[in-house]
Amino acid sequence: MQTNVHPLLRRTSWASWLAVASTIVIWLVLVGPLVTLLLKVSPSEIVTALRQPGALSPLGVSIGSALIALLILVLLGTPLAYTLARSPRRGVRWLEAGMLLMLLMPPLVIGLLLVFMLGPLTPLGGLLAHVHLSATNTFFALIVAEVYEAAPYYVLGAQSTFVGIDQGMLDQASLLGDTPRQRFFRISLPLSLPQLTSSLAIAWARAIGAFGAVIIIAYHPYGLPMQVWTTLNEVGLQRALPYALVLLVVSLPFPLLAFFWSRRARG
Amino acid sequence: MKSSRIRMVVATGVSALVLGACGASTGASPVSHQTANVAYAGSLQLLNEGTIGPAFATTSGYGYLGRGAGSFGLAKEIAAGEITPNVFESIGAAPITELEPSKTSWYVSFAASPIVVVYNPHTSYAPTLAKISQGKLPLSRLFSLLDSKGFLLGRTNPNTDPQGQAFYEMVELAVGRMHLPSSLVKGILGALDNPAEVFSETSLESRLEAGQLDAASAFQSQAIQLHLPYIALPATINFGDPRLAKDYASAHLTLTDGTVVHGVPLLVDATVLGHHDARAADAFVRYQLRSSGRRAFIHAGYTVFEPIFVGTDVPRSVRNAD
Repeated sequence: MQTNVHPLLRRTSWASWLAVASTIVIWLVLVGPLVTLLLKVSPSEIVTALRQPGALSPLGVSIGSALIALLILVLLGTPLAYTLARSPRRGVRWLEAGMLLMLLMPPLVIGLLLVFMLGPLTPLGGLLAHVHLSATNTFFALIVAEVYEAAPYYVLGAQSTFVGIDQGMLDQASLLGDTPRQRFFRISLPLSLPQLTSSLAIAWARAIGAFGAVIIIAYHPYGLPMQVWTTLNEVGLQRALPYALVLLVVSLPFPLLAFFWSRRARG
Repeated sequence: MKSSRIRMVVATGVSALVLGACGASTGASPVSHQTANVAYAGSLQLLNEGTIGPAFATTSGYGYLGRGAGSFGLAKEIAAGEITPNVFESIGAAPITELEPSKTSWYVSFAASPIVVVYNPHTSYAPTLAKISQGKLPLSRLFSLLDSKGFLLGRTNPNTDPQGQAFYEMVELAVGRMHLPSSLVKGILGALDNPAEVFSETSLESRLEAGQLDAASAFQSQAIQLHLPYIALPATINFGDPRLAKDYASAHLTLTDGTVVHGVPLLVDATVLGHHDARAADAFVRYQLRSSGRRAFIHAGYTVFEPIFVGTDVPRSVRNAD
């Protein structure tokens, strides 16, 4: 009799039923906003929104700045995460504590602090001006804000991935005469690639959707999140929603693909 | 089998209950304890949250719940049903009239928020700006300074913020009234949404306090509350006198979507929306028209005047506030 019953129905304790119920509730709560958005926006509205003069510019700004932010994170964040994960030195623990403090700061606060640090009348702002850069309402400012907002997702993810590498394998490679650099490129990196990609994908979603620090230091040039915000304020919700949907369409595929790929890679 | 079916029903019931709780309205309150749920222009935040809201709650016995943001943005959210306040206070009546006739049919003006130019006391321009504010140098010097190369001016977006519109129109009026070269208007402001000087409302105030601008637009109330030095402007160009509405209307600008906007006095306008907790909502508006509310406005840097009612069906209790 039991053999034809779905595994879910073979549960016997109230606790498991409660777990199923709460899972359903949480899932509905999480997916609810997305369903609402899809119900509220018709394809014609998206086409109309994107046909407005200059409407495609925020899309280009968002994709361009997020790609550069990700490149910076890979080049600087990967060695940092590896050092934090593998170095036994006490100084590195202090470095880690400082990093955590910075990485876990709310985006809006980061934006405010960046004004104090990189504003045009600060010493650093003056240095930037010497190389014709400004961290105030510029594409560069947008990248800076996105790097700060997305860094925790990549650096902390990459760090926990590197921590999980089998030390025995690394020791064997040492015995065979591999240098630390060779160990990184031959063992650590290939083994960590699926999870690193996952972390990078989450960082991508955070970078392209960055808003808290962006509204403070990079009100211009408009990326998609600022476009959603200003359209909401200028002409209302219904005209802002298409941009929100475009933002989702642009930001979600990479994380979803990375998630499934890393699951397959892990078996 | 039977017991597992019962458990299924229970589990579904639990889900439905939790979901029901999530979807239940949290805004309802018994008649005995109504709440004034106030959506207000961002510049009123400090005054409403720090002074008027708590004082109103204490003296009236009603609850107070406030939410500050850009007036136009709030109007859009109210129109879309995203938020359901029962009092709406904006700077300038345009955001309220956007909600007529569906949500309200009247508003009351009772205070003005003149526009000023705040400046950074540590900038190299500060001594000159201080002399202008003290009247030791003519006001025309301010406009030639604003136009000078390298001067960091900040303002807000005229497309989304009444202060952004008023500052733009103020420069236009000032150049005309003082017979300055008309090229100054474009020289000082650039494009409507000029990336070099347009910031979000939040960011502009932060930048000012961080000393990262030489000067910026502000309401006089903001300058006083943030303890920033400022240059007061004559009533003919500061949008703070309801009697000069006709003069202000001679200034205009075209928004990005093609809408032409004319200058209006920067008045604090309030209305009651709908019938939800109407007694608390009426009481909140009434509180601001009475002496204690007026004193709070004056203390915060606003100018107050005899209430002006515009529209129809003004609640009797509000009209007879005294």
